[in-house]
Amino acid sequence: MTGTVATETTTSPSARLRETFTRLSRHGLFWPVVALVVLLLACGIVSPGFLDVTVRDGHLFGQVVDILRQSATPLLLAIGMCLVIATGGIDLSVGAVMAISLAVSLTYIAESGSGTTVATALTGLALGLVVALAIGLFNGFLVTVLGIQPFIATLILMIAGRGIAMLITKGQITTVTSPPFKAIGAGYLFGIPMPVIIAGGVFTLVALLVRGTALGMLLESIGINREASRLAGVKSRNITWFVYALCGLLAGLAGIVYGAPTMAADANNVGLMKELDAIMVVVLGGTKLEGGKFSLAGCVVGALILSTLERAVVIFHLPTQVTPLFKALILIVVCIAGSDRLRARAGLVRRARRTPAAPVEVAA
Amino acid sequence: MTSTQTPAPATTSRRASGGAAGTGRSGGVADVARRWGRRIADRRFLPVAGTLLTLVLILVIGQARYSTDTRSFVNMRLFSNLLVDNSYLLVLAVGMTFVILTGGIDLSVGAVVALVGLVVAKLLIVGVPLPLVLLAGVLVGTVFGLLIGVLVQYFSIQPFIASLAAMFLARGLCNVVSVESLAIEDKGFTDLASWRIKFGHGPSIWYINLSMIVALVVILVAVYLLHYTRFGRTVYGLGAGDGGQAVGLMGLRAARTKVWVYVISGTCAGIAGILFAFYTRSGFNLTGIGMELDAIASVVIGGAMLTGGSGFVLGSVAGVLVYGLIQVLIAREGLDSWWTKVFIGAVLLLFVLLQRALTTGQKRRRKKNRDESPASPPDAAPLPAA
Amino acid sequence: MSTTSTTATEPVVRMTGITIEFPGVKALDGVDLTLRPGEVHALMGENGAGKSTLIKALTGVYRIDAGEITVADVGRRFDGPADAQDAGVSTVYQEVNLAPNLSVAENIMLGHEVRLGPFVNWPATRRAARTHLARLGLDLDPMSMLGSHSIAIQQLCAIARAMVVDAKVLILDEPTSSLDKAEVAQLFDVMRQLRADGVAILFVSHFLDQIYEITDRLTVLRNGRLVGEYLTAELPRLELVSKMVGRASEDLADIEKAARRTTTHDLEGRQPVLQALGLGRDGTVEPFDLELYEGEIVGVAGLLGSGRTEVARLLYGADRADHGTLTVRGAAVRSATPLGSLQRGVALASEDRKKEGIIGDLTVRENIALAMQAERGAWRKVPAKELDATVARYIEALSIHPANPDALIRNLSGGNQQKVLLARWLATAPKLLLLDEPTRGIDVGAKAEIQRLVAELASEGMSVVFISSELEEVLRLSHRVVVMRDRQKVGELTNGPDVTATTVLETIAASGSAS
Repeated sequence: MTGTVATETTTSPSARLRETFTRLSRHGLFWPVVALVVLLLACGIVSPGFLDVTVRDGHLFGQVVDILRQSATPLLLAIGMCLVIATGGIDLSVGAVMAISLAVSLTYIAESGSGTTVATALTGLALGLVVALAIGLFNGFLVTVLGIQPFIATLILMIAGRGIAMLITKGQITTVTSPPFKAIGAGYLFGIPMPVIIAGGVFTLVALLVRGTALGMLLESIGINREASRLAGVKSRNITWFVYALCGLLAGLAGIVYGAPTMAADANNVGLMKELDAIMVVVLGGTKLEGGKFSLAGCVVGALILSTLERAVVIFHLPTQVTPLFKALILIVVCIAGSDRLRARAGLVRRARRTPAAPVEVAA
Repeated sequence: MTSTQTPAPATTSRRASGGAAGTGRSGGVADVARRWGRRIADRRFLPVAGTLLTLVLILVIGQARYSTDTRSFVNMRLFSNLLVDNSYLLVLAVGMTFVILTGGIDLSVGAVVALVGLVVAKLLIVGVPLPLVLLAGVLVGTVFGLLIGVLVQYFSIQPFIASLAAMFLARGLCNVVSVESLAIEDKGFTDLASWRIKFGHGPSIWYINLSMIVALVVILVAVYLLHYTRFGRTVYGLGAGDGGQAVGLMGLRAARTKVWVYVISGTCAGIAGILFAFYTRSGFNLTGIGMELDAIASVVIGGAMLTGGSGFVLGSVAGVLVYGLIQVLIAREGLDSWWTKVFIGAVLLLFVLLQRALTTGQKRRRKKNRDESPASPPDAAPLPAA
Repeated sequence: MSTTSTTATEPVVRMTGITIEFPGVKALDGVDLTLRPGEVHALMGENGAGKSTLIKALTGVYRIDAGEITVADVGRRFDGPADAQDAGVSTVYQEVNLAPNLSVAENIMLGHEVRLGPFVNWPATRRAARTHLARLGLDLDPMSMLGSHSIAIQQLCAIARAMVVDAKVLILDEPTSSLDKAEVAQLFDVMRQLRADGVAILFVSHFLDQIYEITDRLTVLRNGRLVGEYLTAELPRLELVSKMVGRASEDLADIEKAARRTTTHDLEGRQPVLQALGLGRDGTVEPFDLELYEGEIVGVAGLLGSGRTEVARLLYGADRADHGTLTVRGAAVRSATPLGSLQRGVALASEDRKKEGIIGDLTVRENIALAMQAERGAWRKVPAKELDATVARYIEALSIHPANPDALIRNLSGGNQQKVLLARWLATAPKLLLLDEPTRGIDVGAKAEIQRLVAELASEGMSVVFISSELEEVLRLSHRVVVMRDRQKVGELTNGPDVTATTVLETIAASGSAS
């Protein structure tokens, strides 16, 4: 039982320390934060001055700032993905949505002829987001109304989406010059990189939405025990549809933030494999793939781990192509550590006294 | 028990509901036709029938649009080219079928194909004899399959995550082997790659090459395994939706089988890697991105359900042919190649909707109860479950 | 009535002194079971009696802590279900554990297929399947998909599979739960056939009529202990029911001394809170009529599987009704849903806490808030102050321990979990509260608290439906008692000094079928 009553016995400082450690380590974010800290420290050791942040040209500058900026895109993707996963679903199309959104925005700006005005840039942005939202609504429709398995429902757009993006850019890499648009990805606000501002803002908004309304609790409820939620009167359809739409929207934003600095829409490569990165970030942050309790803060930590990892590879003078290896390692370690079997071995899971050859659950 | 039919016992012999095919004796052609008609309408075969219909439809459209007076669209050259271009995908789809039948998924096959290509290229450059190289290539795939199988079965990690990790691992290893494209110039290899038998002459020339034969052998072995062995039926049973419980209680080896399907998928990825290397004569770490999706799409178009338990190897083969034909048609039509992806997505959507309609019909018949929309989200996990 | 062929035949299975312990509870304590060839033997007992544990011991799923099992005079320790199967003990489970996506022939013959070299000889295997089916008097297309047949047929296929290995013992675990009358008759024909062939059949069921129709002998368990073995023909129903429920016919007098609610309830001219007319669901509950009034506790009594839970689910809208009408507070309800019911002031506390009640990873506060919140929708959160006050109120009123709203509900004891769930429903201020086994599996102290609470609620005007397997509870609290048997409402008693447990049991045991 939780909430043990403290007894008035004198405990040695080491025992108290151990107890604090045990209680801390049970927190869902403990190990991810530890991993992040270890990574940062390792980088700091190898590359002195790694943790330095200076002000240059009126804005923040430094390796850590870069890491923050790099983590904006995965974080935006992960926030949406996290909510979808909480309901027990998944969205594989976010990478393709990134490409489509970016393509739509840049194509509009390119064809508007007035690319350098703020109005055009904003309209381009809005169009890109609207299209992303529409895709999210479509995915939600397939899953909640037609009852299609989320994996395959979003797989459709994962495949077709690339083609659609290519159609929009007509096979070219659309490049435009639009300083206002570029500022979305490359600009600074109060000296902080725009992507960080945007990601931070979105995180705050979504966190408020999720915890300030009952949305978060109902999402978790649906993910943990759908039948009990149904019997308690929870109508899961609209809620689930909403998070798929939100996920699509955020993916669109992520694509634009990602591509704005380069001002180029490479429909083939933008967002490639990013959905898998997003899932990894969510899982690293402590949210389980089966759904249920989720942690947006965990997504932040996960996104930071991801971008720190990518930066660490550079700092350690390893070829960037080795990054997938580390991703695999971290994923396997995190999953095995969380797997039931290991916990069972550690005696943390009670098992009925079954004979070894008996199947897991026999109805009788 | 002997194979002779014992006379019906004294107690009233009751006609079972549904599916009784009369007293089973010869009733003439009409009887056979009726039986086969019923079999095709059987839920299991309906999706594949749909795929075959699509295939025929595409051929008909192609025939109508592209045939000239001198040359028919549908000819041996068409099929030969299809198979030459897609033999690697055929092998991948066959392996993926096994995994999907159990309700799992394997996201690593594209990365494994790339890795195998690189390993083959590197070993040949270093001077390892060809037979060993080919064997090593296949074994790379097998090892990856085994890794995933162990993660799924013994660590209870979801197939999605386990194969995702394997994919990252394979991609990472690719980059370790070589960051640049490695050309394969070994004579033995290129001889094998270019070996082919010629048929016909002039503009209607067509070939059979080694890749096609390998793919055909793989298909035949897969059909044998799935339909003529206890193992194959256990694979189907694992996809029944209860996590392999029924199969376990029936005394069939559920755990072992589940690991084996991933080994098979990995081995097929290894073979496909070699076939793809034949095709490109090189190893490149950026190959195969998205290839697993093509394989999955082919399997789904071929009539298999992602939840497992239904599907056929020949259906997946048809799915690959549909995939390949769509590409051919798009090229013929002069459209840009990325239209392929859009069409594949559309065909996939169509098939998924059809499958959904079929299962909803089934559910209604079993008088399920939900107060939400008629086609409420299925109880099965959104991801292919372990 | 069954034909008994109980000449002195050697038992094929002898279980003696079986004891199985789990942490904290003795599931079986020195239980004996004897199965003889050519006999249908019933295993009877209420919830927690130990039936399923005993079967799992016989089929090798559980290890026994003490006692002996002999099959055909050979002492056995089974290592798993496959082991038991090899020894000739086959089981057909309630959820037919076959693969519905495989063919009939495959399901029957897999593991014993006919081979031709490395290939499976399907034509020969199918013919063998036909043979096995014919032995049971069945004529099915072996190539047809198992899932395309009704559950009844699938069950018979499962039996056919069991017979492929020439099982000496066939265990049928609640086989008739999903069958209609015709299908039950078919199953019984098959069972008689097998009995004539010398198979020992262990038949687990709670349908009294069926027990008396098909079985030769009975073993009754209660609370993990053996009550006795009897010849079906020599045990009257009332005695059987008494033995299962735990009241010797002579002890029933003691019940009458227990404090009971005697009320003079004047129901004339009052508007019912809920009125069900001909409400029913195919295969689940036969159409029934029911009226519920304010301030009234209506108990629902009946044996396990008699349809009590299903009645509650129909009233709440958890299941969709196929027949009949429902009127709540004067307004007709077209298609009841959980949310609609909550908004109309009807709440249901489910029987299965784990599957249908607790949201394990959420806190006590969140679990209490759930239904309340669902009523408001996702966007308007229940204000924190209001929620905290409500939660604190219920924690105190129901003595929920630990009194920490942030504790995860899955860490609470069963009794406290039940109280949290009760708080969830009470927080919606229902006019009608349906309680399905609210005191099951919780300690005595908590039981008394909940019973007191129910009486209090009713006295404040709430209408309560109280379902429980414990007759004394039902009689202690209820103004009226609805009696269910075999998925039918068979009686309604107004509680009073002359209504005792006997009366209820008699109503249950009254033989002669209705329809």
